[in-house]
Amino acid sequence: MTPTPAPLATSAPSMAEPPQTQADVVIQTVDLWKIYQMGTEQVAALRGVSLQIRRNEYVAIMGPSGSGKSTLMNLIGCLDSPSKGQYWLNHQAVSEMDDDALAHVRNHEIGFVFQTFNLLARATALHNVELPLIYAGVPAAQRAERALDALKKVDLVDRRTHRPNELSGGQRQRVAIARALINNPSILLADEPTGNLDSTTSNDIMALMDKLWTLGNTIVLVTHEPDISEFAHRVIYIRDGMVARDEPTKRGLALRQSRPEPPCN
Amino acid sequence: MQLREAMWVALDTLWSHKLRSFLTLLGIIVSIWTLVAVVSLVQGVNQYVGQKIARLGSNIVSVNQFSLEEMTDQKQFREAQKRNKPITLAEYEYLRDHLRLARLAAASEQRTSGTNLKAGNHSMTDVTVIGATANSIEVSNWDVLAGRFLSSNDETRGNPVAFIGADLANQLFPGVNPIGQTITVDGHDFQVVGQASAQGNVFGQSQDSFVDIPLDIYRSMYGTQDSVGVQVLAPSAVLLPAVTDEVEMEMRSVRHLKYEDKDTFGLIGADSLMTLWHQLTGVIAGVMVGVAMVFLVVGGIVIMNIMLAAVTERTREIGIRKALGARRRDILSQFLVEAAVLSAVGGILGVGLAYGFTLLAGAVTPLPFSLPWLAVLAALVLATVVGVFFGIYPAQKAAKLDPITALRAEA
Repeated sequence: MTPTPAPLATSAPSMAEPPQTQADVVIQTVDLWKIYQMGTEQVAALRGVSLQIRRNEYVAIMGPSGSGKSTLMNLIGCLDSPSKGQYWLNHQAVSEMDDDALAHVRNHEIGFVFQTFNLLARATALHNVELPLIYAGVPAAQRAERALDALKKVDLVDRRTHRPNELSGGQRQRVAIARALINNPSILLADEPTGNLDSTTSNDIMALMDKLWTLGNTIVLVTHEPDISEFAHRVIYIRDGMVARDEPTKRGLALRQSRPEPPCN
Repeated sequence: MQLREAMWVALDTLWSHKLRSFLTLLGIIVSIWTLVAVVSLVQGVNQYVGQKIARLGSNIVSVNQFSLEEMTDQKQFREAQKRNKPITLAEYEYLRDHLRLARLAAASEQRTSGTNLKAGNHSMTDVTVIGATANSIEVSNWDVLAGRFLSSNDETRGNPVAFIGADLANQLFPGVNPIGQTITVDGHDFQVVGQASAQGNVFGQSQDSFVDIPLDIYRSMYGTQDSVGVQVLAPSAVLLPAVTDEVEMEMRSVRHLKYEDKDTFGLIGADSLMTLWHQLTGVIAGVMVGVAMVFLVVGGIVIMNIMLAAVTERTREIGIRKALGARRRDILSQFLVEAAVLSAVGGILGVGLAYGFTLLAGAVTPLPFSLPWLAVLAALVLATVVGVFFGIYPAQKAAKLDPITALRAEA
């Protein structure tokens, strides 16, 4: 009788564990490619992106339009699957997952904040915040309680029965942030969160982001505005589908001096 | 996804597009309305006719030239026309004298069109003139309001007497007691000896426009060629089958039919009338239900169309839900529930209209209408099933949407 092989040996060895596993790495991509078929032509939007983001980092992803920044965000947000390469989110190999598993990851691990808020127009603020819990299968009574807590964190409890069209832009984005946080995700993924807001409101929202970072959240900010990226501690520049630069911001540097931490790369 | 969320979204969408939803649902509404109303109608009419036929007597079998089957089937009728002979008065008398199980046998003949009645300077036409034996009152549904029916004494003496219906009393003798007055039936004078109480209409046909005269006089007036109608009364409804067998046997024996010969006459009981009636209403109901089904399919296609539009309209919403963790089956069930709720609401409106219809019909006709609960339930289930069926394709389309593309769609 032949000895039974270890269960791990049956799966692809490279996918079993991310290389150099570090307990606090939340996002790890290795040679991530995304190739689109445009008619007869193949267009590579991402050409081998490898990066690591650790727990409680505050990272901005920057790049001009067409750089592959949005494609990278879609991959990180598990809205899309890479053509090639690996992606581990919170130690799960999401590049291998099917649609339903990705939906589960989006529900539990990722909190999205969009430029256009993307709230359901006909639902109240409270109901909008509850939505992810519905798909998580949380019972109704518990949902309302948790949604109210989340609205408290963004100071909108008194607006809970309002619909999006009865709220200001800043309030809408705060509702969206409350919604993103409701399931205690591993990362908060904000795509141009201030793109539709005036500068005062933008600063309010970025102050809220700061506060969330202090509370221990991992934040990935996608933006093309240098002002906004300066709120982050580290900025990753994408150009032609590749990482062009990956460096700490001024705030990041200041932080490193005041609170020495091992560099992540 | 939880059913409650799906229902909430469905009802909210329905309510926010009231007119569109209503127009969408017209097909379902009309078909469910038709379906429930037709079932209610057929039930009501059946009940009504059942009562009327029961009044004719559930323990009476009538002997006729043709059976109901022969009268309602062209092929059978053509064969029977060659074979069957009119019932003669002699045959009636034979039955009267030979039947033992039966309580009695009554004979009558009647005609309606072309009859002409006069009394004083009033006149009526097309009254049903019935030549009847004195015991006919036993097998009829006439109640004597005043005076008496024809008697056996009248028969033996050949008295020219008449028993009239309520219409004749009203129109020929307005404000006068008709008893003892003279009435002229197609040129022959009769003395009115009794009046029946009013019976009202059946399907708009007055049941009170008749005059009964002795059968012998009737035959001397109109000839002896016609088939005599014989009504045999069984002691009870339970004994009717036995009496029917006895009548058949005696008729066969008086007509000297051989064992292998078919009956040359027809026996009609209350049960065979009811069977015929059910066949008739069954056909009508079948046609109407078929029409309703066509409406239902059309309604289903309209729902599919509107759901496809909804998927396009709400692509952004689908993208948001997917980004927040909705799986394919969550989106699928959301749109299926929405289609089901939409069509179920159509079903409920249809049932509501059908209910209004039964109330109205019950008020303006003598038919005993009621809402058949089983039909209501079946209709609602049917409507929902149609919604789900025609909702499958749009829902699948929604579920298959790519989250990135969906999120980019115009809101």
